[in-house]
Amino acid sequence: MAPEAIILAILWGALTLYLLFGGADFGVGIWEVNTALQSTERERNLLYKAIGPVWEANHVWLIFFLVCTHAAFPRAYAALGQALWVPLLIAIVGIVFRGAAYAFRANLLGQRTQRTIWEIVFAVASTVAPFFLGAAAGAVASGKLEFNDAGEYQGDILLGWISPLAIFTGFFTVGVCAFLSAVYLLRESVNQQHDDLVKVWRRRALVTGVIMGVLSLLGVAFLAFEPESFWSDFHERSLPLFGIGIASGFAALVALWYTWPLAATIAAASTVTCVIWGWGVAQYPFLLPPNLTIKNCKTSDSVLWAMLWSIAVGMVIVVPSLWWLLAIFKGAHHDASKKSSGY
Amino acid sequence: MTDVLLFAASTGLDQLWAARMQMALTLGVHIILACFGVGFPVLMLIAEGRYLRTGDAIWKTLARRWSKAFAVMFAVGAVSGTVLSFELGMLWPKFMGTFGAVIGLPFTLEGFAFFIEAIFAGIYFYGWDKLSPRVHLLTGLAIAVSGLASAWFVVTSNAWMNQPRGFDLINGVAVNIDPIAAMLNPATGAQTTHMIFAAYMVTGFSVAAFYAWERLRGRDMAYQRHAMALGLFLGMVFALPQFVVGDWAAKMVAQTQPVKLAAMEGQFQTEVSAPLRIGGWPNEETRRTEYALELPGMLSWLAYGDTNAKVDGLDEFPRDETPPVAVVHIAFQVMVGGGSYLAALTLWGIGCLVWKRHLPRQRLFLFALVAAGPIVVLALEAGWVVTEVGRQPWIVHGIMRTKDAVTHAPGMEKVFWITLAIYTLLTVMTIGILRLLARSPLEAAADGS
Ligand code: HDD
Ligand code: HEM
Ligand code: HEM
Repeated sequence: MAPEAIILAILWGALTLYLLFGGADFGVGIWEVNTALQSTERERNLLYKAIGPVWEANHVWLIFFLVCTHAAFPRAYAALGQALWVPLLIAIVGIVFRGAAYAFRANLLGQRTQRTIWEIVFAVASTVAPFFLGAAAGAVASGKLEFNDAGEYQGDILLGWISPLAIFTGFFTVGVCAFLSAVYLLRESVNQQHDDLVKVWRRRALVTGVIMGVLSLLGVAFLAFEPESFWSDFHERSLPLFGIGIASGFAALVALWYTWPLAATIAAASTVTCVIWGWGVAQYPFLLPPNLTIKNCKTSDSVLWAMLWSIAVGMVIVVPSLWWLLAIFKGAHHDASKKSSGY
Repeated sequence: MTDVLLFAASTGLDQLWAARMQMALTLGVHIILACFGVGFPVLMLIAEGRYLRTGDAIWKTLARRWSKAFAVMFAVGAVSGTVLSFELGMLWPKFMGTFGAVIGLPFTLEGFAFFIEAIFAGIYFYGWDKLSPRVHLLTGLAIAVSGLASAWFVVTSNAWMNQPRGFDLINGVAVNIDPIAAMLNPATGAQTTHMIFAAYMVTGFSVAAFYAWERLRGRDMAYQRHAMALGLFLGMVFALPQFVVGDWAAKMVAQTQPVKLAAMEGQFQTEVSAPLRIGGWPNEETRRTEYALELPGMLSWLAYGDTNAKVDGLDEFPRDETPPVAVVHIAFQVMVGGGSYLAALTLWGIGCLVWKRHLPRQRLFLFALVAAGPIVVLALEAGWVVTEVGRQPWIVHGIMRTKDAVTHAPGMEKVFWITLAIYTLLTVMTIGILRLLARSPLEAAADGS
C-alpha cells in the first residue's frame, strides 16, 4: 500500500476520533445553548465533570490531524488555509474562547456574574466552532472550491467557500456533536445513578437522534439530486458504509428507547464513524476535489515513512495511556459515591 | 463586498507587516505559556516528591495549588498553540506549501509529545484521590518529560528556519527530503538547549518573584518561603549554565548567520579585532553604533576564540539581505543584560548559601527577586526577537523571503487588531484567574475542590 494512502487513513481515523471525543465536548456547550443555560446546577455539574479529565486529550486529535496534514500533504494544507480563510478564522476564535472560557469558569467559584458570562461564552463558542469546522469540511466535500492545478486557490476568499452543502454540513456537525454528547451523558448519568438526569438525557438523545436521522435522509437526497457533482461516480463505493450507518442509527434509537447506555454509545459512535468514512471513501483519492489528490499533494516518501514510523511508535505510548485515562474516569464501574477531585 | 474589504486591506497597514505582527503577537504570548508548560510540572514534581519524602503538608498544599494554576495555563497555552498551527498555513501558505513536509516530522513528534502531556495532565489534575501517591507522582513525571520533548521538537523546526538542511529545492519544490537531517541541523543543539533552559528559568524566577512579593507584603510564612525557595532553586540551577549555552548559540550564529551576528553586535564595518559593544544605538545613516561601551577585541574573541579574528560587518552584505539593525542589537542587549542580572542574583544566592547556609534574607534581595520576574520574561521575548527579526528578510534563511511567503487573503490588518483585542482580554483574564487562585485561602486547596 502506498504510504500516502496509509497516512490518509490515519488522518481520517484522527478526524473520526476528534468528532467522537472532541465533538462530544462541543456538544456539552451546545446543550447549554439549546437549553438557554436553563440547566440546574446539578445538571451542569454533571456536564462539566464529564468532560474535565478528558478535555485536553480530546482536543489533541484536532492538533494531530492538523500537524499530520501539514507534514504529509503540505500543498493541501496551504491551499486549505487560503480557500477556507473565513470559516477557519471564525472556528479558531471559537476554539480559543471555548478553551479559555472552560478554564476560567472552573476557577471562578465565588464570582457568580463573571462565571455566568464565561459559561455563556463557553456555550456560544462551543456551537460556533463545530459549525464552521463542519462548514469547512462541507466546502471541501462539495468539490466547488476553485483550485488551479498548482493547488493555488483561485476563488473568492471571502465568499467562495459558501455552498448549500457547506451550510448543511455546518448544521449537521453541530447536530452530531449534540447527539453524541447526549448519548454519553446518558451513560454517565446511568453510571452515577442520577435517575432524574437519566430521564432528561434519554429524552434529549432520542429527540436529537430522530432529528439527525431526518437530516441525514435530507442530506442523502441533497447529494443525490445535486446536479452532476464531480464525484457522483464515486458515490456507489460508499453505499455499504451508509447502509451500516443507517442500520446503526436505528440501533442507537432502539437502545436509547430501552435505556441501554453502552449499546447506545457504541451504536451512535458507529453511525458517526460510518458518515465520516462514507465521505472519505466517496472522495478517495481526492483530498481537495476537484483537482488535488493525495498523489499530487503528497510529499516525499522518505517523509511519509518517517512519519509512519513515528506514528507507530507514538501510538504504542499514546493508546495505552489514553486507555488508562478513560478507564480511570469513564470506566463503567468507577465509584460513584467517591468524591471526585474535579469540579 | 469583497472589493470593499480588499480596498480596506490595501490601505492602512501593509499585508506583510500585519501578518508579521500577527505572528509575533500570537507566538510571543504562546511562548510564555509554553515555558510554564515546561517548567511548572518540574516544580509540582519536586513539591510532591518532597511531600512523599518528608510528610510535610506544606509541600502537598503547594503541589496541589500549583497544579490548579498549571491547569489554567495549560488550557490557555493549548488553545494558543492551536491558533499557531492554523496560522502557519493561513498566514504563510508558500512557506508551509513548500517546506511543511521538511519540518513535518518534528511537528508530528511534537503532536505526540503534546498528546502524552495532555493525557497525563488529565490524570494528574483529577487523579489526586484516585491513584496511589507514587503512581500520581509518576504521572507528573510523564507531564514533565513530554513537556520537555515537545519544546525540543518545536524548536528544532525554528532552528531549521535558521539553518535549513535536508532537502534540495528544484523548481520551487522541495525534493530528496531527509527529515532527520532537517531536524538535526547545525542550529538545533544550541537553540533547543538554550530554549529549554530559558523555560526553566522563566518558571523558576517568575514563581520566586511572586512569592517574594507576597513576603514583602507581609505574607511571610513557611508556605511562601518554601514556595519561593523552590522557584528560586529551579531558576538558579539554570541561570549560570545559560550563559555558556548563550555563548554557544552566539558562536553558532557567527559561523552560520554572520549577518545576524553583525546586527546583534551593531557591527557595520568588517573589522579585525572587533570590540564587544555594550549598549549603544546603531545608526543606520552614519553606519556606526553610537554611545556604546566598547571592549576591544572581545567580540572577535567571543565569536571566534581569537582576539584578532576578523568579524564581517553589515556592509559586507547586500542591503536587501540585512535585518533591521537597531531592533536586533537592542533586543540582544536586553537579553544579555537580563541574563547578567539573573546571574548576579544567582551568585548572591549561592554565596549566601555557601557562607551562611541559608538564602539571603535581606529585603533588598526580595526586591531584587521581584524584579527578576518581569526581567526573565523580557529576556525570553528579547531572545526571540533576536532570532526572528535577526533572520529577516528571510523566512527560511537564504532560501525564501518572508514577503514571498505571505498570504494574499484580504483583511489581514483587521484580523490582527481583532486578535490583539482577544489576546489582551485573555491575558487579563488569565492573570486575574491566577491571582484569584493565589488568594484563595490555603485550607481550601486541601480538599481538592
Ligand atoms: C531566560 C531567557 C534568556 C536568557 C537569560 C538568555 N537568553 Fe539567549 N535566547 C533566549 C532566552 C534567553 C531565547 C528566547 O530562548 C532564544 C530565542 C531563540 C532561542 O532558541 O532562544 C535566545 C536566543 C539567543 C541567541 C540567538 C540564537 C539564534 O538566533 O539562533 C543568542 C546568540 C543568544 N540567545 C545568546 C545569549 C547570551 C550570550 C546570553 C547571556 C546572558 C543569553 N542568550 C541569555
Ligand atoms: C518554533 C518556533 C517558531 C516558529 C516556527 C516561528 C515562525 C515564524 C514565522 C513563520 C514568522 C513569519 C516570517 C518571518 O517574519 O520570518 C515569524 C516571525 C516572527 N516571530 Fe517567530 N517563530 C517561532 C517562535 C517565535 C517566538 C517564541 C517568538 C516570540 C516572541 C517569535 C517572534 C517572532 C517575531 C517578532 C516575528 C516577526 C519578525 C519580523 O517580521 O521582523 N517567534 N516566526
Ligand atoms: C511544553 C510546552 C508547550 C506546550 C504545552 C505547547 C502547546 C502547543 C500546542 C497545543 C500547539 C498546537 C499543536 C502542535 O502543533 O503540536 C503548539 C504549537 C506550536 N507551538 Fe507550542 N507548546 C509548547 C512549547 C512551545 C515552544 C517552546 C515553542 C517555541 C519556541 C512553541 C511554539 C509553537 C509553534 C510555532 C507552534 C505551531 C506549530 C504547528 O503548526 O504545529 N511551543 N504548541
